[in-house]
Amino acid sequence: MAEYRTHMKIIGDILATTRDDLQDEDGATVTYLIRKANISHSRISRILKTLVSQGLLERNGSQGSNKYKISQNGREFLQAYYSFTNFADNFGLSI
Amino acid sequence: MEFLLENILNLIGFLVGLAIGIMSLIGFRNTGSPTLFRLTLAFFSISAGFFVIWAGYMVEDFVIKSGNIERWIQTVGIVIQTVGYFFIAFSHSIKSFFPKSNYFRSVGFIPLFLVSSVQLEHIFRSVSFILLVYGAIETMLSYFENKNKGAISVSVGLAFLALGEFLGWYSFMFPDSLLYPASMIIKIAGLIALFIPVSKVPLTKIKFDEGLEDDELDDKLK
Repeated sequence: MAEYRTHMKIIGDILATTRDDLQDEDGATVTYLIRKANISHSRISRILKTLVSQGLLERNGSQGSNKYKISQNGREFLQAYYSFTNFADNFGLSI
Repeated sequence: MEFLLENILNLIGFLVGLAIGIMSLIGFRNTGSPTLFRLTLAFFSISAGFFVIWAGYMVEDFVIKSGNIERWIQTVGIVIQTVGYFFIAFSHSIKSFFPKSNYFRSVGFIPLFLVSSVQLEHIFRSVSFILLVYGAIETMLSYFENKNKGAISVSVGLAFLALGEFLGWYSFMFPDSLLYPASMIIKIAGLIALFIPVSKVPLTKIKFDEGLEDDELDDKLK
């Protein structure tokens, strides 16, 4: 059975990919993130827009294609996300 | 003896609830997670409930000196604690039912109430018992899924609180027995078990994010 992922978990997966699993130094393409985070193009577009506007991701436009890389704020957010995922796990919950 | 145990129990309950509530609030401020928001409400309510009863005992001890705490103060404290237990059970019900069932999404969570006709306090004790048992079972089930050892401690803590509530509720049938002091000792053990895994969460680099305004948090919750 497929595992249910909360919105927060999807954001965590996207940020983790842009931190740990980059294609090159410029960042990850949308196609790469779709494959890694396993979500639709329309949904990831909305999420990426939000993450960039909140300063958690940096967008690098080069040769007509956007690439995404985690920012310092994004790293701090991801660290907090992992800590509090563990905290919620203790209560048998997911954030 | 009973009076001293009541004071210790309510003071520990207040402090443990407050500590977990603050930790949940920091988590909510950092991540915007609705689960952490519900845990914040739950543990601040539990903390406030214990505080009300503790303050009642303190006022009785140092000001009124009648030898017995006002019944309505104890009832108010228990009602506030029950609200906290409800939010813990509610979080589990959302996790268990809402992602999978449109029916539960539409009707929400309706807890089963064990109605007692004796006193309001006993009704809320029985509701707390049901909510705590539900929370303990769900937490233990989640341990079997993710094998997080902290979940065992929280589950045991909630189960002890439930047992303490049950014995506290049952003791009104045997007022002079050891049931009530035993219920308080069990509840103290439950609170300590609840706090053990939470105390191990590393908070060294986590801070309130000043840049996250309310509207941004709302966006995250969508």
